[in-house]
Amino acid sequence: AGKPVLRLSSPASETDQRAVALIEKFAPAIASFATFEPHWNATLFKQGTELEAISRGNLDMAITSAQELAVFFPEFSIFSAGYVHKDAAHQVKVFNDPLMEPMKKKVEDDLGVKLLTVMYLGRRQLNLRKSKAELTVKTPADLKGVTLRMPGTDAWQFLGKALGANPTPMAFTEIYTGLQTGAVDGQDNPLPTVVDAKFYEVTKQICLTSHLVDLNYLAISKKVFDALPADQQAALLKASNDAAEFGRQNQLKKEDDLIAFLKDKGLDVYEPDIKAFRDHVQKLFLSSEYAASWPKGMLDKINALAS
Amino acid sequence: MSLALTLCLIAILGLAAIGTPVAYSIIVGSIVYLVAKGQDPAIAGEQMVSGLYDSFVLLAVPLFIVAANIMNAGAISERLLKFCVATVGRFKGGLGHVNVVSSLIFSGMSGSAVADAAGVGRIVIDMMRKSGHYSGGYAAALTAASATIGPVIPPSIPMVLFALVSNTSIGYLFLGGVMPGLVMGAVLMIMNVIHAYKHDMVQEEPVPLREIPRLTAQAFPALLMPAILLYGIYGGITTPTEAAAVAAAYALILAAVFYRTLTIKSFYNILVESARPSASVGLVIGGALVLNYIVASENIGVSISHALSGIHVSPLMFMFGVNILLLLLGCVLDASTIILVIIPLFIPSCRELGIDLIYFGVVTVVNTMIGMVTPPYGILLFVINATTGIPLKEIISEIWGFIAALVLALVLMILFPEITLWLPKLFGYSG
Amino acid sequence: MGAIFHWLRKGAEAISALMMFGLFATFLLQIYSRYVMDAPFGWTLELCLIFWLWMVFFGGAFIVRERDHIRFDILYMAVPRGPRRVMALISALAIAAAFLWSLEPTWGWIDFLKIKKSATLRVPMRDIYSIYAIFLVAVIAAQLWRIVTLFKHGVEDEASASTAGADQ
Ligand code: NA
Ligand code: NA
Repeated sequence: AGKPVLRLSSPASETDQRAVALIEKFAPAIASFATFEPHWNATLFKQGTELEAISRGNLDMAITSAQELAVFFPEFSIFSAGYVHKDAAHQVKVFNDPLMEPMKKKVEDDLGVKLLTVMYLGRRQLNLRKSKAELTVKTPADLKGVTLRMPGTDAWQFLGKALGANPTPMAFTEIYTGLQTGAVDGQDNPLPTVVDAKFYEVTKQICLTSHLVDLNYLAISKKVFDALPADQQAALLKASNDAAEFGRQNQLKKEDDLIAFLKDKGLDVYEPDIKAFRDHVQKLFLSSEYAASWPKGMLDKINALAS
Repeated sequence: MSLALTLCLIAILGLAAIGTPVAYSIIVGSIVYLVAKGQDPAIAGEQMVSGLYDSFVLLAVPLFIVAANIMNAGAISERLLKFCVATVGRFKGGLGHVNVVSSLIFSGMSGSAVADAAGVGRIVIDMMRKSGHYSGGYAAALTAASATIGPVIPPSIPMVLFALVSNTSIGYLFLGGVMPGLVMGAVLMIMNVIHAYKHDMVQEEPVPLREIPRLTAQAFPALLMPAILLYGIYGGITTPTEAAAVAAAYALILAAVFYRTLTIKSFYNILVESARPSASVGLVIGGALVLNYIVASENIGVSISHALSGIHVSPLMFMFGVNILLLLLGCVLDASTIILVIIPLFIPSCRELGIDLIYFGVVTVVNTMIGMVTPPYGILLFVINATTGIPLKEIISEIWGFIAALVLALVLMILFPEITLWLPKLFGYSG
Repeated sequence: MGAIFHWLRKGAEAISALMMFGLFATFLLQIYSRYVMDAPFGWTLELCLIFWLWMVFFGGAFIVRERDHIRFDILYMAVPRGPRRVMALISALAIAAAFLWSLEPTWGWIDFLKIKKSATLRVPMRDIYSIYAIFLVAVIAAQLWRIVTLFKHGVEDEASASTAGADQ
């Protein structure tokens, strides 16, 4: 038989940092023993169905999220809660820490999916139509009555509520018009998304809440992974980590650069009272049904890893 | 092309050719592909079910169908027609203009060409024949041609389907269709004037001017609908999908409260007769979703894009090439099948060539609508034949002039992207 | 037998009408919650999608008639009854065979989804998607029935079938 083909399906576009990192770093690094065949823009499997596709042997790799894993394993909702990870480095520490082992093992045993590495998606920030002069956001109370577009699932909507806003779901492709016409007052995304989707043309401020340091996991079929000899497994793991690191540094640099760009476009960019937001959001999450599914002491251990 | 793909295409085309429903032909062909590839046959169902369940925009499809059916059942179309007769019916070729203008107004409320032809179209054909100035074939052909405007002017089910496969904004696609729809209306009215002078047609007895205020008042609530929809979408009150539900609700209130023409029984029938096409269109959409999996799995879209970049096609050549192909396919294929299955093949090439996807989407939707009146397979011809009894042969002999006019409008849209993009840009579209 | 089929069909139509109404009403409720109450419900969207999915497959199984399907039947209508019968037989056999072939693995996939809960209503996805298994079984049964009638009586007199419910 020839080299195994590793088919990956992802809703990310080809120019997304994650895609670029996998194409430029991951694919060449494993080229000697496997062919990486990515399918972007969710052309192969719909967003959110990749894990079951891997599980049923219909797909080899995916870029999955904590939200998607939480559908099967509610404890993963801890990583979709606000203000859990401090920054990109914290994510890596948590992922490589022994505290993740039971969770990784459960995903392997129950779904046959192996989580290879953690990818940095960016810090989600508030992006509002009103200028700072019209609406200065210091604490969650300032967001009262602000209609905030958030992705459609419960966990996202809860995060929006925890921030103090009025969350509402809307398809990503409709956000621009929604912001322009005032159907929504704001949206939240990492800065690179704000720029790629040109939301800065129809909004006047960025409030740097950094309420979610968002992550993805690069995932592979356990069966496919286990079939590889040990040296190739090691090479594949290294390639994953290298690609993730490459993407992470690019994304971090981009986030830094874009603050200047957005200011240049006339947007107000400022930090709110982060502590007020963190306390409010964490308090709401801890008393929610989500926290009930988190392993005991997990949040404390995660907090302890934040340097 | 892999053996599995070859077998799949043979199965689909073979079955479709002998009259198997398109949806079932595609599902069978896909299962053949999966089995030949050694893949899980469950993928066929998985792609259909998760694709239909995943897509919020598709909810607009059943809602637009309900809205159109309520308008057709609820005397709304008749009121509109009386208004059109009073205003544009007084000019030379009068009822022909009434035909086109009523289609233009109706298209601002309905997302479906078939509904337009079967509803307001059927009534206007009767009026034209009774006047004694128009042959059944001419009336039917003009109705079929003007019904193609329906899904070009928003709202539009085909544009919802294009948004689904291309991930573009429905709001901008809708806006992009307004000017092209008006251009199509204009070329058809010019054709009608030429016809009127050629046959030296006598003018209809004009409706007395003093009647106009009353007729306008009666039609006014119905005329308000396009305005409400557009204001809803672009004034930021509703998303385009919600606009579909608002349209249906407004039509329901008009028919039940204002015109008092809707009973519980007729509402029940509307629901059943809307559920039926919703299901059959849903099945074709589902089939197309499976086919799109196969296309992705075989990397066909990327291969086309690579092949094109190898021979240095200019964007304009590409647009003409694709449009000629689509016009030919439109003679034998259904519009939703083309939009869902064929058009996605060219989207990677558009990205590569820097062709704007709103422009591409609107132009190709116009193209597939022309395909609905091109023989031998033109669904609008069949619908009008079935609802009026005018023989297909008579309709087809009169349709060619209108097809030529619509193709001319299509060429203008291809050559001048601003026809499509001017309005979206006015509303902030930045490409 | 005929009367039973008639009432079963009427019942299926009533259920489809209810689903359509449910979809319509839920959607209006969603709009109301978003723009009037300014406090959008989360569950309305999911309920709409469930109604839509069920309407397609329940409707596809029980209320979409042969002539409602989007199909290309110029050749079929043009040939004499003998070849038409052969075409109809091939069609029915192919559908029944392929759907039957996919039935067991497809149920395996649907059943697997009992561990996946829907996003807001927290219903197992197996329950939502099970309509597709019902659809498969119903279509297989209908095609087998069609094969039997084709052998016994040949092709029925179909009116020009091209006026499908193909709604654009
Ligand atoms: Na329309
Ligand atoms: Na017309």
